[in-house]
Amino acid sequence: MQIKEEKQGDVMIVNIDDHLDTAAAPLFEQRLLGLIDAGERKVLVDCSRLEYVNSAGLKVFLLAAKKLEPLNGTLIIGCLAPSVLMIFEMIGFTRIMKIAPTREDALKAFSSTVTP
Amino acid sequence: MHEGSISIRIEADVREIERLNRLVRQFGELHEVPSRTLYAVNLALDELVTNVVLYGYDDPTGKEVIIKIATGGSELVASVCDGGRPFNPLDVRPPDLNAPLEDRELGGLGVHLVRSLMDHVSYSREGDQNVLTIRKKIR
Repeated sequence: MQIKEEKQGDVMIVNIDDHLDTAAAPLFEQRLLGLIDAGERKVLVDCSRLEYVNSAGLKVFLLAAKKLEPLNGTLIIGCLAPSVLMIFEMIGFTRIMKIAPTREDALKAFSSTVTP
Repeated sequence: MHEGSISIRIEADVREIERLNRLVRQFGELHEVPSRTLYAVNLALDELVTNVVLYGYDDPTGKEVIIKIATGGSELVASVCDGGRPFNPLDVRPPDLNAPLEDRELGGLGVHLVRSLMDHVSYSREGDQNVLTIRKKIR
């Protein structure tokens, strides 16, 4: 898995690809939580090139969302492939996390959230 | 889907899981297991073996996990066999999917996925071995 970060306005976009599995999860956790620690409050994880996620990877999304909530931050998970979206639905994450079908939808969702 | 079977022996090491996943996918493609079924079985085996490798042994060095897959008729059956401490994943409390974000717990996600993805999951302790068997119907 490769992790690439880019900043668009005040949104930090994290692109991940290939397999987010037990071997890849620790690095993703370190990078994603590190960005929040560094002050990022609007974080979009672009999953358009993500093919596979297991529970180790799912935990990282949960950790990041839990960390951002009390900071009035927002995590949006964007562009999930149907097979990966199915896993997010199965584990109930679509009820507690913001999911956006496209990057444009995600960026729009950020701009409509009011930062105090 | 073609009839066939495979037995895979891996070391109880996180780095071996990627190799396992690759072998499972190769077997599935060779036997023309429908892609949705293969995806589900691949993920379920990944979760079960990850549990064994991370939590099954005090020291997993030199320990092995054996994974078997068989296709036939309209069903795929797979098993994970290990000599780790007795552990029945089906005893794991399922996560509360209705809990708000702040109350959602990190544990139990993998076992929940296995149960949700498979049609049938069973556990038995055979001698000093844990045997977890999963079944998925081909539709």
